[in-house]
Amino acid sequence: MSLQVTLPDTISGLLGLEGVLGDVVGGLIGAFIIANIMLITTAIAGPWAKRKITAAFGDRIAVNRIGPFGLLVIIPDAVRLMSKELIVPEGVDRPAWDIAPMIIPFSALLGFAVIPMGNGIQLADPETGLAFAFAAASIASLGLVMSGYASNNKFSLIGALRAVAANIAYEIPLVITAASVVIFAGSLRMSEIVAVQAEPLLTVAGVSIPTWFAFVNPFAFALFIIANLAEIGRNPFDIPEAPTEIVAGYQTEYSSIYFVLIYLGEFIHIFLGGAIAATLFLGGPAGPVLPGFVWFTIKIWAFFLFTQWARSAVPRLRVDQFLEIGWKGMLVLSFANLVLTAIIVGVIA
Amino acid sequence: MSVEEQEPQEDAVQERSRGDELADLLGDLVISREEHLNAPGFVIRPDQVQETLFKLRDEAGFDHLSCVTAQEYEDRYESIYHLTKYDERTDEVSIVVPTSKDDPVSQTAEPVFRTADWHEREAYDLVGIRYEDHPDLRRILLPETWQGHPLGLDYDQDRPQIATLTEHANPLAQDSRGDEGNTMFINIGPHHPATHGVLHVETVVDGEQVVDLDPDIGYLHRSEEQMCQMGTYRHQIMPYPDRWDYISAGLLNEWAYARTAEDLADIEVPEYAQIIRTMGAELCRIASHMIALGTFALDVYGDFTAIFMYAMRDREIVQNILEDLTGQRMMFNYFRLGGVVWDLPEPREEFFEKIRDFIDDLPEALEEYHDMITSNEILQARTVGTGVLPPEVAKSYGATGPVARGSGIDYDLRRDDPYGYYDKLDWDVVVEDGCDNFSRLLVRMREVEESAKIIQQCVDLLEDWPEDERNIQANVPRTLKPDEDTEIYRAVEGAKGELGIYIRADGTDKPARFKIRSPCFSNLQTLPEMSEGEYIPDMIASLGSLDIVLGEVDR
Repeated sequence: MSLQVTLPDTISGLLGLEGVLGDVVGGLIGAFIIANIMLITTAIAGPWAKRKITAAFGDRIAVNRIGPFGLLVIIPDAVRLMSKELIVPEGVDRPAWDIAPMIIPFSALLGFAVIPMGNGIQLADPETGLAFAFAAASIASLGLVMSGYASNNKFSLIGALRAVAANIAYEIPLVITAASVVIFAGSLRMSEIVAVQAEPLLTVAGVSIPTWFAFVNPFAFALFIIANLAEIGRNPFDIPEAPTEIVAGYQTEYSSIYFVLIYLGEFIHIFLGGAIAATLFLGGPAGPVLPGFVWFTIKIWAFFLFTQWARSAVPRLRVDQFLEIGWKGMLVLSFANLVLTAIIVGVIA
Repeated sequence: MSVEEQEPQEDAVQERSRGDELADLLGDLVISREEHLNAPGFVIRPDQVQETLFKLRDEAGFDHLSCVTAQEYEDRYESIYHLTKYDERTDEVSIVVPTSKDDPVSQTAEPVFRTADWHEREAYDLVGIRYEDHPDLRRILLPETWQGHPLGLDYDQDRPQIATLTEHANPLAQDSRGDEGNTMFINIGPHHPATHGVLHVETVVDGEQVVDLDPDIGYLHRSEEQMCQMGTYRHQIMPYPDRWDYISAGLLNEWAYARTAEDLADIEVPEYAQIIRTMGAELCRIASHMIALGTFALDVYGDFTAIFMYAMRDREIVQNILEDLTGQRMMFNYFRLGGVVWDLPEPREEFFEKIRDFIDDLPEALEEYHDMITSNEILQARTVGTGVLPPEVAKSYGATGPVARGSGIDYDLRRDDPYGYYDKLDWDVVVEDGCDNFSRLLVRMREVEESAKIIQQCVDLLEDWPEDERNIQANVPRTLKPDEDTEIYRAVEGAKGELGIYIRADGTDKPARFKIRSPCFSNLQTLPEMSEGEYIPDMIASLGSLDIVLGEVDR
């Protein structure tokens, strides 16, 4: 398995730069491109796609006035969101309150650094790629706690406590389930995990089915998706926000651009969750006919659609039931999955 | 209508003997007797309230304190306890407790019926009677800083009232930081996504669990009682009931006033008009239950999710039918004393077709709801066994409607105290024994089916009604002046429960006292009982399952 060429290398190669300068310039431009891809995705998802999807589930029409299918609503919406008054409540813990909304989206963006998006679009491919993605995504919890605690609002505080409880309870099953994939792949390096999945599993009537881990171990895939839903806080696990219970949880006191940043963070987190799931279980950017990047986009949007479906149709669990499922169900099952996988791989290999 | 003619006479015979029986039971407790149109009345001493009520409850079986009416006369104050039975609604008795002008103090009924807590607070707030030994005699609808009692005779309406924020107790001051340890006070509402209006729930939580909670109401108080007292019976009062339970239940509310005033003035409604009323009322009930279902789902699911929109979509069809019938979507003002304002819309076939289409499609829609809600395991985990309201507690708080029926109390005024055309139609009272949030949800969903059954039969009747007998309005004098000192308390089965009205006539064309017994007001009282010790999410779900409308709670 050859090491894939990463995006910064390609860029510095194109610019004819070498050494440290090439790394820095290539890295900066690469990061700029990746971040913009994700921001554009989120811009489409937040003000437009989410509305359209929710409306379709609820028998409504939603935005349809500006542009084709109401797509151009994104522009006035962006202007509206950014031009709103920023209300700073009395008694907020100032630097922490301001930093929190920045941590949340940037932790998610950071996670995308190691995701192979196909067609050579990958910012970095370190040996510890998977661990890095989880570590980066987990930084968001810090932002949630900061926002909840610094807001000086009781609903925010409850929301933050719930967010932490949720993250601890579901991060472990998430990582353990991912570890079972690592046992199969034999590497934490994202490109290798993808490469392993490219080999054919079996051939049915001339169509070759690849060894995507979702096919090899559907149980782990289901576990991972459920833990992922909890991780990004969507129904039935939207405990940290729980609008009808604790107003808006940790983001109760945020308005204007801070509100946008927090929401941005949530959406990028959904896409990051989808990206990690796609990389680990769905062969990353692999797919027939279409270029890899298109397949990657389809896969993360499919995950986004799934979260919106769950949000529209599934009731929310109570906080104690939620934690019970996490600690007594998910944790046990994910360890069982890990041990079983280890035994099977050990016996076969 | 022959049946309606006979019934009052029978009632009168029964009441006379019933009154004597009760007089024997109460013995020396009775100072004198009164006759109210709905029930025998007994005047008792203000320091023997509890003794009398205990006796009536334990020995005569009057387990339902439906309403407490307070009023001021030229020479005295008066509290009236309207008692009845869950098992036999037509068996009623009024306990009249006069108190002196100088010192209006009366014994509280709270130890006998817990529902008296809020009812007496309201009486204190609006009329000014004080109740001795009441556990918590504060104002309930008006701000604490209010001066005077607005329904008292000497109340100066022009006096400016200043209710500044600084004079309010700071709700955060009760925050038990440090000393008591682990509890936290939070204000849920008046602006909160789950309070269904402007309800303020003062909540003390220990972590996520509710330790103590106190619903604070009155944010939507619009002096409905006083406005009704300033309107004439014949025309000016009817528009107001639409504004009590304003969530699609308009016709049901209008019927409460229509029934009370018609019994007061002895007006007979033509049978044809009664069928139209029955049909319209049940359409309103469906619309109202759809909202209840949708908003309950909203509380449990989270956002404006699919099930909420489905409920709204199906309610919209009902709204269109009601618009065709009444010309209005919310504030119908369709009933008149002695009938309805106009006949069914032309062409009638089209109108019937519309209703039939709706009824035919309803089972499918309900099936969809059952798929999405009641058979969902997560929803069951959330609602089964939470917000438990045992039947005895429900009775003590005067809970009625789907809330009572969800606690296994077989009580529905449409059957137990028949009015309109209900007793001639084939339908069932829905009762669930679960006593929890899930039961209340199920009751509403099954009641929609029963209402559809009623509507179906009404449509059949109306379709075959001979054209020359379509009498929608009885002859009612232009000005109604019921005899002085006639008193009546009548209730109908509103969307949320027993919606009662007490009227005392003083010989003029306007009521001297107009008291509204709101089912939501009594039902909301059960919230602390259901929620203390539970988690915040369950408290929110219980609140949703009560299906309160603040317009009716606060009036």
